[in-house]
Amino acid sequence: MRVETTRVANPVRLQHMAGFYDSMPDLVGQALPLVSAAFARAEPVALAVRPTTERALHDVAGGAAGFVTLESAATARGSGQTMATRRARQLRELTAAGAVTVLTEHDHELDGVDGRYWTELDAAQSIALGDLPVSLVCFFPQFPLHLEILDGARRNHPQLLVAGERRRNPAHRSPRDVLAAIPASTPLLLGPPEVTLTYTAWQLHDVRCAVEQVLADVPTFVATRIEDVVLAVNEVATNAVEHGGHQARLALWVDDDELVCEVHDIGTLVEPLPGMRAPHPSQPRGRGLWIARQLCDVLHIWWDAQGTHVRLHAGP
Amino acid sequence: MITSTAEMTAGDHVCAVPVSDEQLWELTAEFVAAGLARGEQVVYFDDGTAGSVLGRLAADRVRVARPLHTGQLEIVPSAITRQVFHTPVPEAREILRAKIDQAEADGYTGFRMTGQWSYGMSRPVGAVPFTDYDAALHTLVRERSMILLCLYDQRRYTNAQIEELRAVHRDELDAPNTYDDGLLRVTRTGSSTARLAGEIDHSNRPVIARLLEAALDEALRAHSASTDIELNLASLRFLDVAAAVSLVHAAEEFPSTHRLVLVDVTPRVGRVLDRCGAPFAAQLLVREIDEPREPVLDATRRFDPSGAGSDRDEPEAIR
Repeated sequence: MRVETTRVANPVRLQHMAGFYDSMPDLVGQALPLVSAAFARAEPVALAVRPTTERALHDVAGGAAGFVTLESAATARGSGQTMATRRARQLRELTAAGAVTVLTEHDHELDGVDGRYWTELDAAQSIALGDLPVSLVCFFPQFPLHLEILDGARRNHPQLLVAGERRRNPAHRSPRDVLAAIPASTPLLLGPPEVTLTYTAWQLHDVRCAVEQVLADVPTFVATRIEDVVLAVNEVATNAVEHGGHQARLALWVDDDELVCEVHDIGTLVEPLPGMRAPHPSQPRGRGLWIARQLCDVLHIWWDAQGTHVRLHAGP
Repeated sequence: MITSTAEMTAGDHVCAVPVSDEQLWELTAEFVAAGLARGEQVVYFDDGTAGSVLGRLAADRVRVARPLHTGQLEIVPSAITRQVFHTPVPEAREILRAKIDQAEADGYTGFRMTGQWSYGMSRPVGAVPFTDYDAALHTLVRERSMILLCLYDQRRYTNAQIEELRAVHRDELDAPNTYDDGLLRVTRTGSSTARLAGEIDHSNRPVIARLLEAALDEALRAHSASTDIELNLASLRFLDVAAAVSLVHAAEEFPSTHRLVLVDVTPRVGRVLDRCGAPFAAQLLVREIDEPREPVLDATRRFDPSGAGSDRDEPEAIR
């Protein structure tokens, strides 16, 4: 795992813009000037678009040179915040050499039940990529199946691409306000857990033992990975009893491929998506969840009237 | 007054009441190490605890592979430890007397033993009282100048049992002042050095800040004191993120003349420190454990005199 501190001194920050298209050729037509401008500045263009769009962009730009393909969202299990964490990690490496232009495209296969994934992804990206020299342009269809997607897109993006021009978006809201109106999605229920445990701040040792015990019998998990997963669960569990009330509930599911862990508490979050950005080294708190997000394959936080909930998936 | 198991000499029969598992492993490991260093034969009666004792010996860098091989250090398997309490007292005493004589014949400079004997207290009413075994051992201490450390820890013995056993021991170990909350044990090993054993999490994190503050304060006041505040983390098994961050911050707030030095840091704790910016803190020095640990668990399995390991409790895994 790479650990870097937040680049606060960097003068260039995220530029986040939404564009709307009515067909794939229209999308390519709108994207081409952005690609040409990036290439003219000797900036690479990172793509998170459907394969047909990617091929079409390569064709009009005269080849694949200068393009980078970003990680697919399929493995984030419908968690927009998880996808944003991964994208931040990938873009942090890409931007080490300088600014990057990123083009993304809506994919209805990731909509889930109501398309909320996209709103959560964009809000999470606004936080996670905030300090990176990235120009992120998100393309949405003018008429998606779930109109809530457009609602979220209009609130999440400070800029809009209209007729090839950057325009300030008067409907733009902060990620916190967006997520207050359109909260992160609730994942599908799992079956009965293998282990459940109610604990207090003085029983975090029991939480760690429970995780160690369920993983000890899984041959695919090596000792160092078990230690890291125990650390991740400990941080999530600590957060629940530190901010969420004196008691919290832990549930564990395990098989050869992964550990799934849920932590539920009755508290409410001050910041809707904690741990999306590495805190500045001088900040005493807030690093635990960030490290947990880096160590897990999926870490999804959601909230409702009952309190705050976290589900994490960790593979071997 | 005896304050350390390392001070015990021939003819000493001392009991100790460890307040935590960490203290139990610490006392046992010190006792074993002192015996090995003096060329004595050391016998440990296991009852599911040998793994942790060997883990602590490894953390203390006591080499045990060879003593286990030669028999200088003998770990009596759990099944046999428990069998002792089903053997009539005179018979048990004779077996042990023969063992001490054999140790002398083999050229060892002495004989010492300790172990986990809580099974002897948990047997049904009507069995031979535990204190009868203790009395028999006491005769051997007197006759054969054996060294005997009886450990009655608060997790495996009830308060009533501990009081009963304390009453039959003339000497009790008086351990120096330490912090011990059952999860973390902090032992001051010098004016600016301390050793942490166990786990640090949200429940006991403030202890570290207080410890560092006190050690730094002392170091600044004392003219001759070291400018390095040293914490030995060999037996620290878990460090949470906020505690790692607080160590990094504490070092950064030291006056520029002083440094925080973390020594014998295990890879597990080292990774957490790395992720919390330890490599970027100029006044924090992290020294990882440099030698690979001996394969202690294999050693006990190999020298298990009972042959099959199935009838004994597995030693606790060391991580």
